[in-house]
Amino acid sequence: MESKTISHETSAAEEQLRLLRESARAFAKRELSPRRYRELRSLPVPFESRLWKALAELGWTGLMLPEAYGGSGLGVVESTTVMEELGRFLLPEPLVAGAFFAGSLITEGDNEELKKRLLPSLCAGKLIPSVASQESLQARGPIGCQAENSGSGATLSGRKRFVRPCSGADGFVVCATTSAGLGLYWVTPDSPGLSISHERSADGGDAGVLALDKVKIEPSSVLASPRLGQAAFDKAFDYALLAASAELVGLMRGALDMTLAYLRTRVQFGKPIGSFQALQHRAVDLYVQQELSAAAVAEVAAQFDAEHGMSAVQRAAGASRVKARCSDAALLITREAIQMHGAMGFTDECDIGLYLKRALVLSGWLGNSREHRARYLATTGIGAGPQ
Amino acid sequence: MSDWNSMSDEAFREIARKFIVDNYPGHLRYPSKRLRWNEVRPWYLAQSHAGWIAPAWPVEYGGMGLAPGKLIIWVEEQENYGVGRAPDHGITMVGPTLIRIGTEGQKKYYLPRILSGEHVWAQGYSEPSAGSDLASLRTEAILSGDHWVVNGQKIWSTLAQDATHLYILVRTDKSAKKQEGITFLLVDAKSPGITIRPIMTIAGDDKFCEIFFDNVRVPRENVVGEVNKGWTVAKTQLGFERIFLGSPKLPQYALSRLEAMATAAGAFQDDVFADKYVQLKLDVADLNALYSRYIAILRRGDSLPADVSILKIWATETYSRIASLMIEMAGSAGSIEGITRIGDIEEDVLTHFYYARPATIYGGSNEIQRNVIAQHTLSLPR
Repeated sequence: MESKTISHETSAAEEQLRLLRESARAFAKRELSPRRYRELRSLPVPFESRLWKALAELGWTGLMLPEAYGGSGLGVVESTTVMEELGRFLLPEPLVAGAFFAGSLITEGDNEELKKRLLPSLCAGKLIPSVASQESLQARGPIGCQAENSGSGATLSGRKRFVRPCSGADGFVVCATTSAGLGLYWVTPDSPGLSISHERSADGGDAGVLALDKVKIEPSSVLASPRLGQAAFDKAFDYALLAASAELVGLMRGALDMTLAYLRTRVQFGKPIGSFQALQHRAVDLYVQQELSAAAVAEVAAQFDAEHGMSAVQRAAGASRVKARCSDAALLITREAIQMHGAMGFTDECDIGLYLKRALVLSGWLGNSREHRARYLATTGIGAGPQ
Repeated sequence: MSDWNSMSDEAFREIARKFIVDNYPGHLRYPSKRLRWNEVRPWYLAQSHAGWIAPAWPVEYGGMGLAPGKLIIWVEEQENYGVGRAPDHGITMVGPTLIRIGTEGQKKYYLPRILSGEHVWAQGYSEPSAGSDLASLRTEAILSGDHWVVNGQKIWSTLAQDATHLYILVRTDKSAKKQEGITFLLVDAKSPGITIRPIMTIAGDDKFCEIFFDNVRVPRENVVGEVNKGWTVAKTQLGFERIFLGSPKLPQYALSRLEAMATAAGAFQDDVFADKYVQLKLDVADLNALYSRYIAILRRGDSLPADVSILKIWATETYSRIASLMIEMAGSAGSIEGITRIGDIEEDVLTHFYYARPATIYGGSNEIQRNVIAQHTLSLPR
C-alpha cells in the first residue's frame, strides 16, 4: 500500500535524524562546556581550529553544501538539529556564520570557479568564511558600500560593522550596492585598501569593523552577478536565521536545565527554593517559551526542506517568525535564570552569566526580535489593506 | 457500517466535511455564545441518526470506534466549519466512564439513551468551597436502605438547566483522607429535592448553573465504580480531550476579527499597534506548531505527556492578550456592550474580552496547570 511505503520512508528519515541528534549530543558533551567557553573568550581568536576541523570531520561544516563540493547535501532540518544540540553546551566556533550563512551564500552565487576554490576547503575544515553585510544598527538596513565596475572585476568602498566572526576568519563575503543590484564579493583580510578594527562582543567574541577603501576585486572573486545577488543573500540569510534560532533553542535548554537544577538544590527558609510557587510558575512560563521556540524551529525547518519548497516570501516570513520568537525567549529565559540564581548569578564566576551573554549576542545577531517582527509584517503584507 | 479507520485520511475528511455541511444548521455557524439544547438538538439528532454522535466510542456500544488520527480530523472539520459545541458530557464523559467501569445494567440503560439524545448530561463537581481544591468537596450522600440521600450544593455546572441527568461527586466517608471518601454518582435531574438555578455572568449569559440537593434520594445502584473510589474515576475521565483545551482555533478566530477591525479602523498605520499585533500573530502561529507536536503524539497512538497543558496555558493567555488588544485598539468603542461600529464594519468588541476571563479558570485554572507542570515535568520539589 502506498501510505505504508511513505510511513516506512518517514521512519527511516526519522531514524537518520535521531542518529544525527545523538552524535551531535555526544560530541557536545565530550567537547563543549561553559568552562571551555570561559577559557577561550579572552583570546584574540575566541575559538579553536582543532575543533573546527573536528566539526568538519563529522561533516557539519559542509552539512548543507552540495555533495559535488564535498558537502553532505542535507537540509535545514539537519542543520537545526545539530545546532540545537551544540548550543546547549555553548559553542564558540562560528558554525552558523561560517557554514550555514557564508557557505550557503557562496553556494547560492554563480561563480563556479570560486565555489571550487572555497567550498571543498570549508567542508574539509581548512577554511572559515564570514559575511560582511551589515552597516547600520539593523541587520537588514540600507547598504551604503559601493562597488564600481573596473574591467570585469570591481572596486569596493564603504564600511561594515558587526562582522562575526572577524578575527580568525579567512575571508569575507562583502555585500555592496551596484547599479545592477546587490553585488557579493569574496574579500580576504590581506586585501590592499581593507583595514580591520574590532569591537568586543558581550560574549567575549569580536565584532569586526571593516573599512574598505577602493579594495580591488578580481573577476575570480566576484561571488554572484548583481542580478541574483539579493535573492542569493536572502536565501542564505534565512538559512542562517533558522540555524541561529536553533542554537538559541539549545542555549535555552542549557540555561533552563542549569536553573532548574539550582532551584531543586538551593535551600532557604529550610526548603529548596524550587518548592516556592512564585518560582515554580515562572519556571513553567520559561518552559512554555522554550517549547514554543523548539516547535516553531522544527515546523519552519520542515517547511524549508519540503519537496516543493517555499517561495522567497514564505521563507522570509517563516525565518523571521522563528528568529523573533527565539531571540525574545532566549533573553527572557537567561534573564530570569540570573534572577533565580540570586546574587551568585550576577558574579562572573557563575556559568549562567555565559548563557545570558551568548543569548544577548545571538539574539541581536542577524536582527533582533523587533526587526524580525517588522520584516514579518512587511513580508506578509498584513494591514496593508486593499491597494 | 463503514470501516472508517481503514479509509484514507483524505477520504474520511471529505465525508466528514460533507456530513457537516449537509446537517449543521447554517445560522448556528460560529456562534458567539454557547448553544442551548433547543437550538442544537437537530444537529445532535442528525449525528445520532447517522451513527456519528459518539465517534470515539467502541463500535459494539454504538460508537464509530475512530482511531485518534481520524478523531482529530472530525474535530478539525467541525472547527473549520464553525460548528458550535452541543451538550456533550454524555458522549465525552459519562459514556466512556460507563464503558470502562460501569455495570452491565448501567451500560444497557444509559448508553443508548445518550446516543439517542433522550438523556442530556451535566456535571456536578465544583462547589462553592471546592474549586481548584476539588477534593475538599462537601456535598454528602448517606446510604439509607436502597437509596443514597444527597444533601449539598454544586456550582459552575455548564448548561445544567438543559440536563435530564447529572453526574456528581459526593462525600460518602467523612473520616477518610479527603480524596478517599468520594463517590461518583448518577442522578436523575428530575428527582425531588433538586433545584437548578442559572447564574448570570459578566458576559451577560447564563450558561453556568448552581444545583441544590435537599434530601435527594438516589438509587443505590447509581454508583459508578466502587464506593469511596470516585476521585480515581473522575481523575481518569479526562483522556486525550485535554488537548482540545489548548486548541488554537479560538485565539486564531479572535485574531482574525482583530485584524478585520484594525484594518477597518486604520490601526496598522500605528507602528506600536502593528508590532503588538504581529507579536500576537506569531504567538498564535507558534501555538499551532506546538499543538501539532502533541497531535502527532496522538496520531502515533501514544498517550499525552503531563506537559500537554502548556497548550491550555498558552492558548488561553494568548486569547486573553488578543481580546485586550482588541479593546485597546477599539478606543471608545471598547466600552460599548454588544454590536458596535468600527470603521466600516460592525462587531461585538467585548465578547472575546468577556470569554477570555473564564478560559484561564475552567478546565483546571492556569495556576493549577502550572503547579502540575512544575512538579511533574520540571521535577521541582513540593
